[in-house]
Amino acid sequence: MIAVMSDAIAHRSELEQPDPRPRLSPDHSSRQLRGWRCSECGIARAVHAPWCPDCSAQLLVADFGPLGTVWSSTVVHLNIADIPAPYGLAYIDLDDGPRFLAHIDGAEEPLLVGGRVTISGINERGDIEVTSIATSRETS
Amino acid sequence: MIASILGVGTSLFGRQQALHPSELVWRAVAEALDDAGCPDIDAVFLGTVFGAPGVAQRALHPLGITGVPIVTVENACASGTSAFHEAVAAVKHGRYKHVLAVGVEKMTDEFVGPIVPENTDTEGRAGLALPALYAMAASRYLAVHDVTQRDLAGVAVKNHTNGSLNPRSKGRPVPTVDDVLASRMIADPLTLLQCCPLSDGAAAVVVGPPDADGDHVVGVRASIMRSGGPWDQRSDDAWGFELIRDAAAELYEAAALGPRDFDVIECHDAFTIGEIVTTEALGLRPRGEGATLIRNGTTSLSGPIPVNPSGGLLSRGHPLGATGLAQIAEIVWQLTGRAGDRQVDNARLGLVETMGGGVSGIDGNACVIVALER
Repeated sequence: MIAVMSDAIAHRSELEQPDPRPRLSPDHSSRQLRGWRCSECGIARAVHAPWCPDCSAQLLVADFGPLGTVWSSTVVHLNIADIPAPYGLAYIDLDDGPRFLAHIDGAEEPLLVGGRVTISGINERGDIEVTSIATSRETS
Repeated sequence: MIASILGVGTSLFGRQQALHPSELVWRAVAEALDDAGCPDIDAVFLGTVFGAPGVAQRALHPLGITGVPIVTVENACASGTSAFHEAVAAVKHGRYKHVLAVGVEKMTDEFVGPIVPENTDTEGRAGLALPALYAMAASRYLAVHDVTQRDLAGVAVKNHTNGSLNPRSKGRPVPTVDDVLASRMIADPLTLLQCCPLSDGAAAVVVGPPDADGDHVVGVRASIMRSGGPWDQRSDDAWGFELIRDAAAELYEAAALGPRDFDVIECHDAFTIGEIVTTEALGLRPRGEGATLIRNGTTSLSGPIPVNPSGGLLSRGHPLGATGLAQIAEIVWQLTGRAGDRQVDNARLGLVETMGGGVSGIDGNACVIVALER
């Protein structure tokens, strides 16, 4: 367990507050989510854990996306914390990957549930952003 | 029976900036002790989320409650019912004879608007405030189930109507469905009048042995607490559904009762969609069909299974630690014929459900469900 934990914090600077959010892969022009997949049961995760919470086996680094499907979505009209309203959020099920909470790239309206999206990058406060794929409204 | 409720009490609910948190507790505890016939209290469990360190002892020693074990419990929105659950367990197992469960929250000391999301949480850091969490469930329901925005608004109208009959709730004027839908958008599709208001309050329950007797005594038939399981791409249910469903299944088995056996229910309606998802998870309707309970009046005060006769969190507001015990107080008043203008006729069996959340990756921090019997 200690080895697993050390690995997770190995690249963190001593003065940096841990950021619990999912991050993008350093590879592939940063359009993929850097997550984990269980070496035994195969479950995909967007956030780290000391071992697979389902079967206790080892988690291996894996990249997911950029394509996915909207599970649900909202636009928040409240000024909360350091995020200026309105801002759009969506739960995205990445293809063969984990569900994660994304910010909507430049959205005034929620994304269509069941619509197709792609990871478009990361915003200035560090949230992964998605954008609709143009045909989603017609096809879903 | 595994324990009895000997007495209940609450403060008023609503914005009460001028009151100290201890003063809220004093009002609730004084009423509960008086209702219970002033037994010696052997231990206290106090539920709070944002209460200052020492909030329990600070409020209790001026009441003369000193020397006994005092434990503070945090379980998000279910903190009050978690304190109750532990009080019941302590009595059931013979650890103490008379246990006081208290809940308190002075929300106006902490927030001017909604609860600020937790920065150490994966989705809290990303800005998923609680209205947005419930909005995600509402968004999903509107898209895949037979639920309309007018159904959601109907929950608010029903509960504000009930709340207008509750003298302890500083409720708003009763809105129409159109008023609810025209109120300010908070998180699509949830509008302001679909969100529980900021509210201060305290509530208290005196728990005693199962063989207690008296006009105001109510039996605790079963009490269940669960924490949430994984909520991820494998789940097609709205956040919280599976946790409430599983806790309800445990409760029904422990109480040897089914969902249709209850005469009156108080459940967690922090947001309108919450009541719809919860009534489905409790088994009143199959998944995705909960809105019919609102449409056909099944859960209105005059319907066959009134839900949230107190006005619920939508009317009373949601002082987190106090909420669960205020729900229990309402059911006790209903079962003992003391609910005034909102009295449900011949109520003998009541159910309380409280759901707490805020930790991402699971479908709830805690769910407590209690079956009470007169």
